[in-house]
Amino acid sequence: MTGVVPMVADPPVPGTPGGVRRRARLRAITLESGAPDRAAAWYRRALGLADADPLLTAGGVELRFTLGTSDAPYTGEPARIILNFLVDDIRAAEARLVALEAVWVRELERTRWGIIGTVLDLDGNYVQIVEPTPDSPACLQRKEEQP
Amino acid sequence: MATPALGSILLGTTNPHRLRDWYTAALTPGDAGGGFTEVTPTMFACTFGDTSLLIDGRDDVADKNSAPGRVILNFHVDDARATADHLNALGVTWLVELEEREGGLFGTLVDPDGNYVQIIELKG
Repeated sequence: MTGVVPMVADPPVPGTPGGVRRRARLRAITLESGAPDRAAAWYRRALGLADADPLLTAGGVELRFTLGTSDAPYTGEPARIILNFLVDDIRAAEARLVALEAVWVRELERTRWGIIGTVLDLDGNYVQIVEPTPDSPACLQRKEEQP
Repeated sequence: MATPALGSILLGTTNPHRLRDWYTAALTPGDAGGGFTEVTPTMFACTFGDTSLLIDGRDDVADKNSAPGRVILNFHVDDARATADHLNALGVTWLVELEEREGGLFGTLVDPDGNYVQIIELKG
């Protein structure tokens, strides 16, 4: 994260042929785990989701877990991919993570992005909880489906 | 109180401009909005459905993802064959070329950092 910089839109990208009209939707993320069921249960508790839900979704994005093939127990480069979960009540989210005895990489702090805290999931991935403020960048606000 | 939403997925990279250009060309062709916006000089954001992809220039990752299978980004598209044609025209690297499986069409790409990106068209 760097200092305060005004939001500047990139110049429009020239149209590209190919017949693809609607932008792709990021509908799921697949996380490899040494113990996928345990990992899924951790996310359910961390996010406060009901165990009965057949799919583990967070705001329209499904979290999928597959059995890892790597011998390494933890992610070697956790900053490679970071999951940012938007929450309405950061203290409630923090309490769920404390109850899980999650390892905190960064305890809650107020930033230009809102209030953010970072923990490790069971496989060593960085998971951030974010309570955005009205001034937070658009990319950190809750979204509606694109038309 | 709303359920937590996966508001964004951040890709840490040593070369954010290259990664932004790749995702723009691959997944936002012809997008009137221009795809990514600049959040900081080394961070770019683009909305893909209900979540955003953040591309963040960082010095705590290597140039290449050494364990790309650990996290896979799954993008749903309306027309996977047209998307694959478009991607082939761009000269992308496929880990698994587009193929029909139960449930729909699936293909897996490798982005310039080595991350795995799956393209999916589910059968209606």
